Amino acid sequence: MADCQETLNELESYLDSELSEGRANEIITHLKGCTDCQGAYEFHADLRTAIKTKATNEELPEGFLDRLRDCLGDDVLGND
Amino acid sequence: MGAREDFTNDAMQYAPQLFATALRMTRNRADAEDLVQETFLKGWRAFDSYQQGTNLRAWLFRIMTNTFINKYNSQQRRPQETELDDVEELFLFRRMGAFDQSKMNQSAEDQMLELFTDEEVKNAIESLPETFRIPVLLSDVEGFSYKEIAEMLEVPIGTVMSRLHRGRKAMQKMLYEYAKERGLVDESLLDPQD
Repeated sequence: MADCQETLNELESYLDSELSEGRANEIITHLKGCTDCQGAYEFHADLRTAIKTKATNEELPEGFLDRLRDCLGDDVLGND
Repeated sequence: MGAREDFTNDAMQYAPQLFATALRMTRNRADAEDLVQETFLKGWRAFDSYQQGTNLRAWLFRIMTNTFINKYNSQQRRPQETELDDVEELFLFRRMGAFDQSKMNQSAEDQMLELFTDEEVKNAIESLPETFRIPVLLSDVEGFSYKEIAEMLEVPIGTVMSRLHRGRKAMQKMLYEYAKERGLVDESLLDPQD
């Protein structure tokens, strides 16, 4: 069984899916019974989603993929 | 050349992700495009050493990370910033009470998406010293495991974990500062015990 302090300490590893299955289950059990820790978990999970979504929201430069294919094509022809 | 054509076709699907991460690494669109091109060329030339069936995406990100560290990093004339101020645990979470609720009326998940702009998140990542920025990018943005990141950076797993932990806290502090600058925060609402 994990208490609040342990749960908060291991929240990051839990969110990173880096805990053993046994330990992850102990954290899950604690989260189900503890509103405060559940709140902290949801906050960090949502923050993670927001960061990933926003950091990857990037338009490719015009012609980027064509230039990428071209540079590999040139390499084959020895025009490096 | 069959295997090489496969490489081009398979690798191309990862080009947009590689570009987004390259941009956070180099902080410059032209350098980011160069970095992705160089990654593809190196991958293409080293394709014989690539084991079919292993993780092509991780392999490409490893090449890109190493290329960035070896080339772009050494070009930078700025002193290496390896130090990062220590930020308290759960920094942002403990300050959510100070956010102006009237400006945050969406559901919890949308709220987080609405709270910070794309630019703020990008700036918060890019403001991290490289030592912390790269693991944060590889984990939070690209979802690689501690083990994969440790292999890419050639550091122990414990080092990856501590850099992620410190980098994430510093990023949260940065996001909080941005929210403050935009007037979203009223610090008088914070419980002094926090």
